[in-house]
Amino acid sequence: MNGIGSVRELEKETEKESILHLMDGRVKLILLIFIIVYAVFSTQIVVLAFLELYLLLLIYISQVSFKTSFKRILLLLPFGGFIIAFQPFIHPGDVIWTGIFGLQVTQQGLMWAVLLMSRLIVALTSIVLLSSISPMQEVAQSFRKLGMPRELAMIFSLMIRFLFMFYDELHRIMHAQKARCFDAFNKKIPYKWRMKQLGYTVAMMFLRAYEQGETIYMSMASRGFSDESNLYHDRKKKLGRTEYIYIGVTLLIVIGLQILAMTHFYELGVLGMNII
Amino acid sequence: MHIPDGFLSWTWPIYYVIMFVALYFSLRWARKNLDEKLIPLIAVLSAGIFAIMSMNMPIPFGTSGHMLGGALVAIVFLAPEAAVLVLFIVLLVQALFFGDGGITALGANVVNMGLIGGAVAYFSFRGLEKFTGKYPAAAIAAWLSLFIAAEVVAVEMWLAGTFPLDVGLASMGIYHAFIGVIEAILTVVVLIALDKLRPDLLAWNRKTSGGQKLEGSEEVAAK
Repeated sequence: MNGIGSVRELEKETEKESILHLMDGRVKLILLIFIIVYAVFSTQIVVLAFLELYLLLLIYISQVSFKTSFKRILLLLPFGGFIIAFQPFIHPGDVIWTGIFGLQVTQQGLMWAVLLMSRLIVALTSIVLLSSISPMQEVAQSFRKLGMPRELAMIFSLMIRFLFMFYDELHRIMHAQKARCFDAFNKKIPYKWRMKQLGYTVAMMFLRAYEQGETIYMSMASRGFSDESNLYHDRKKKLGRTEYIYIGVTLLIVIGLQILAMTHFYELGVLGMNII
Repeated sequence: MHIPDGFLSWTWPIYYVIMFVALYFSLRWARKNLDEKLIPLIAVLSAGIFAIMSMNMPIPFGTSGHMLGGALVAIVFLAPEAAVLVLFIVLLVQALFFGDGGITALGANVVNMGLIGGAVAYFSFRGLEKFTGKYPAAAIAAWLSLFIAAEVVAVEMWLAGTFPLDVGLASMGIYHAFIGVIEAILTVVVLIALDKLRPDLLAWNRKTSGGQKLEGSEEVAAK
């Protein structure tokens, strides 16, 4: 998982003022989730390639650094990449390569792996874009405006506020351990002892989180908070012209791609083949 | 164990339905047992668990992994509902901002780590504590919660046609059998530390577990 350093970089990216940054949070959230859902159901590589191109164009428009975005996508790929790497060897089909120990690569397995990787790249690019153009609090507020239950939306919003605090807390503990030459991966130190120290670290984090939760509750209660309270003041914001253009272009691209997928893309051979 | 987008094919909406049902019952439990304390407590605990999950720990035989914390939350509150709530928030933030686990796979990830992980931890702890004592029961429960959740991931991948069942069960099982050791050790160390420092936080120290509000009893506070 990414560390807090990258989250801080992300928060800096969200402070930019491009057309996409200034758009309504709900529109950004819904459209990028819509692209992910469409990508997950797509079975043609060419469709996913066009979606990726569209997302790269959005990254360019939003003035988000390409270098940072690619770095983030590359860092996230190994999670799914591990499972994808096995696909060419485990899918039954026409054998196109035989290696040592009887390992066989099938054409269907290879195509399936490429499809999964393409879906994963589109989904990760969407997430990288969303998190680069929407501050965390804006996403939390968008969820609330879109009908997330009041309690869940408040938990989500408060959780984000305390996320940074706990990372700082954890870093302080880890720096203190490092200053005392503690290395959890040092094999010269007995494993049991290392785990005990890590256990105490986790226990302290858990305890501080719990006690902080109680303190926050007390301070909120003393300011009139009850289970009927609402932490939000929904500012009614009407969608502007840029939002409607963004919605229209995205829908047009997805509908256009779907029509082409059903009528013309099969002519492109491997790229337009339906992989199921 | 975080399933990414695109790996569950058409099956992902099913897990969303299960997740929403689990969330409904978890919120009902929280309103009944935590009332107005629910929001700050679950929010801050989720942030704490999120930070804990970012700590890489050494696993015997050279690899590394991180704690999930679902079993810990389920045992501390003696309620799998708490694990569902905390893991839902943690996994939502991970999926939306870190790309760790997919948006479409969020339902499956919450079902695996929150619902199944929490329920396995709670029920195995309850079943074993009379025979083995609290801490060995907590260790076995934490290990089982991670192991079974990992095996369920293998089944889900198989149902989606992404991975063969036998290879999936074997590879996920072997890897998470080792990761589970960390979950077990750390869950027990945290429970021991909590029992020493703040016994009132542990639901098993309260007169009636699960259905009791979160104020510690006077005897426990005096301990």
